[in-house]
Amino acid sequence: MTVEDEIEIMGQRLNDKIRKIYGRSLHIREVDAGSCNACEVEVNSLSNPIYDIERFGLHIVASPRHADMLLVTGPVTRNMELALLKTYNATPAPKLVAAMGSCACNGGIFGDTYASMGGVDKIIPVDVYIPGCPPRPQAVIFGLMVAIGKLEQKISKTEVKS
Amino acid sequence: MLDILKKTLKTGCQTTKYPDVPDVAPEGFRGMPQLLSDKCTFCGECVKVCPPGVITIAEKSHEKTLALSYCGCIFCGRCEEVCQSDAVKLTQEYELASLAKEDLITIIRRKL
Repeated sequence: MTVEDEIEIMGQRLNDKIRKIYGRSLHIREVDAGSCNACEVEVNSLSNPIYDIERFGLHIVASPRHADMLLVTGPVTRNMELALLKTYNATPAPKLVAAMGSCACNGGIFGDTYASMGGVDKIIPVDVYIPGCPPRPQAVIFGLMVAIGKLEQKISKTEVKS
Repeated sequence: MLDILKKTLKTGCQTTKYPDVPDVAPEGFRGMPQLLSDKCTFCGECVKVCPPGVITIAEKSHEKTLALSYCGCIFCGRCEEVCQSDAVKLTQEYELASLAKEDLITIIRRKL
């Protein structure tokens, strides 16, 4: 067994432990990286009495220094690139990153242009992708549950031959 | 005070029991597009109209492939509208969150 293998196994164990810890409570910082505000409306409705994510121990906080997870929306515009990086660096490790909405996943309708980076994963590592334009609040709850390992993801790569 | 209490009791609990009880999207909700490999003619109309350009068509070594990535799809339903052979169907599925980008790709292949 090489040193790299050992490091990988240790990293895997640490990852499992982190997910176990996060299973109890998770503090989320929502970052708007140039979104059209549709995703923000859905994030707002997450904490209303109907969806009420506080019952799972998920809290939306006001500072990245209080957060365990960044919920990034938008295609990362050029003006928000540095701000997103600073926010990521300000979040204490271990941290999770969720890309919410199609723009954050792959650029979406804005794409990869001179003004936008086309996806959060080009700047910072992303743990969970939540597609949707915008995703339903239920889809966001599902995504957060997948990120902390409480639910299994339902989709997998499909290839059909005919 | 009593009025408020009365109103609260009348309204009851409005919170969804979502992760425990599955929540079906309403009729007409545009969710995950599905490619039907037996109906598709590989004409490339959906590739032309797709606004974010997540549908790609490729032809190499006697094989045609049509790939659709949900990562970046805006669920507009244009592909379903233009498809002559009804090979694209938008389902009501919305639980698409995944840990890897590769899981969000659907590919259909056909030998020429």
